[in-house]
Amino acid sequence: MARYFATSQETLVTDALTGFARVHRGLVAHHAEDGYLHARQRSASRRVGLLSGGGSGHEPMHIGFVGAGMLDAACPGQVFASPHNRQLFKASCAVAGPEGVLHIVKNYTGDRINFGIAAERLAHHGIACARVLVDDDLASDSTEVAVGRRGTAATVLVEKILGAAADRGDSLAQLAGLGARLVARCRSVAVAAAAHTTPATGRAAYLLPPGMIEFGVGIHGERAARSVPQGSLGDLVEQMAEALVAALRPEPAAPVIGLVNGLGAVTSLELYAVADEAVRALEGHGVRVARCLVGNFSTALDTRGFSLSLLVADDEVLGLYDAPVRTPALRWSRPMAMEAVQ
Amino acid sequence: MTTFDGTFTYGWLQRFAGSVAATEPELTELDQQAGDGDFGVNLLAGVSFAMTAMAAMTATDRLPDGRLPAARPLQVAATAFLDEVGGTSGPLFGLVLHHLAEAAVHPVLSTPDLARGAAAGLAAVQRVGEAVPGDKTLVDALAPAALALELCAPDTPVDRALLAAAEAAFQGVRSTRLLCARRGRASYLGERASGIPDPGAVGVGLLFSSAAKRLTTLGPLLADTGLGWAEPGAPVPAG
Repeated sequence: MARYFATSQETLVTDALTGFARVHRGLVAHHAEDGYLHARQRSASRRVGLLSGGGSGHEPMHIGFVGAGMLDAACPGQVFASPHNRQLFKASCAVAGPEGVLHIVKNYTGDRINFGIAAERLAHHGIACARVLVDDDLASDSTEVAVGRRGTAATVLVEKILGAAADRGDSLAQLAGLGARLVARCRSVAVAAAAHTTPATGRAAYLLPPGMIEFGVGIHGERAARSVPQGSLGDLVEQMAEALVAALRPEPAAPVIGLVNGLGAVTSLELYAVADEAVRALEGHGVRVARCLVGNFSTALDTRGFSLSLLVADDEVLGLYDAPVRTPALRWSRPMAMEAVQ
Repeated sequence: MTTFDGTFTYGWLQRFAGSVAATEPELTELDQQAGDGDFGVNLLAGVSFAMTAMAAMTATDRLPDGRLPAARPLQVAATAFLDEVGGTSGPLFGLVLHHLAEAAVHPVLSTPDLARGAAAGLAAVQRVGEAVPGDKTLVDALAPAALALELCAPDTPVDRALLAAAEAAFQGVRSTRLLCARRGRASYLGERASGIPDPGAVGVGLLFSSAAKRLTTLGPLLADTGLGWAEPGAPVPAG
């Protein structure tokens, strides 16, 4: 039985938040009473506050992306549970700009309802609020599912790009519009070789047959609709790349931003090997991979798996992606290097 | 003759708290069969927070002439539900109470104000949760209750209008037992939740019926569900 390194299961989330705020106190402030973290620095030209949130267990999402050039605040819930509307309401009031606040919400019922209740309360207080709903997960793309595609790792790219757009002074309507265009042009797919360990039980959330990979897992330990034989990494990544390209159909000239994201228990060594396969597979499909981000950004506790996301960009979006960012989990001050080899 | 000011709304919410406390085991049993089992506890937590908050009201909550405006207890209870209750159904009740308070623009409540508030509450719940009648959620009770209030003549006394809303709400409750849930936790149970009325809808029925009296059992209201609450011949709805 795997053992959790925690003082107690009950205090795991609050202990982690306290530690996070202690370590990154130059970047973020923790409001424990009201349940949110907010950025200490904020561009003077920003007219709209950017807020995200969701269950804990996805670190560094969401708190890791609070800081200059990205989110103004994040509201963590308990493990895999939506934050309370009160947290979202209080955080929104605290970070709303003169033009209001933009909620970046992953498509899950609990998140939608809680952000929705917070938005109702904000409207009552005269604070303008709009929502960008991220629903990038290809595996949940089915006409039979009324709740729609799940929101997963591409949220990181959406938040980065919207952060830069907010910094250049975009209005609430402009940000909501850009967000909707970004969401329409990004998809993700995730695989896992082993489930996460449930903190409450210390046991795997589910068991996989030996030699099989779950193709299309969610970020809460949801099993995929299908299992595939393990095969080679190249074959697996090719299947993922093919599915993404078929869904997005990028123009041959369009620059595409890739994200190779670890789900919690995959090493960096492996993730870069995945990135190598992914870029080659995508180029084989005629996709121009202009940027590629690799690392653990949107995890599912210690799920032994990874996701591949694509966002079809243009020069404006690339410029926003390249804009400086300084958060606990994501920081750069100059364009990422991939275009040098294009 | 009853005056429908803050004393009335305070009493209404006190009876609602009493109804929830008395029927919590039944609500929980319903939710264990058609949800995830925490609805009764959540609603009980909500009314408890609301009671505490209302008890803490002071002279500043009153008008200069000392009267308590109809909106004030509703607003205090709404904030308690929105801020203090976990899950989703508790805060949704908060939204309904909030809109009832918003519409109570005069110190003394009128039936048209009530109808406007219920309609606004229904609209807010639907904006947030996206449920429509027939999805087996609290909307199945709230929508008919709002309609019943709207259909009342403007000069209908508020207590009579609320009685009509309660009867319509419980009609809605009974309709949910035949439905297959399409939203909320029960939607994951598929056919297994069929035959069980939606607990959230029952909560809405309790809210409106508590304007008239405190309920001590759901039995008579759920008598035709075949769930062992049968009390043949028992009178249906409040009053």
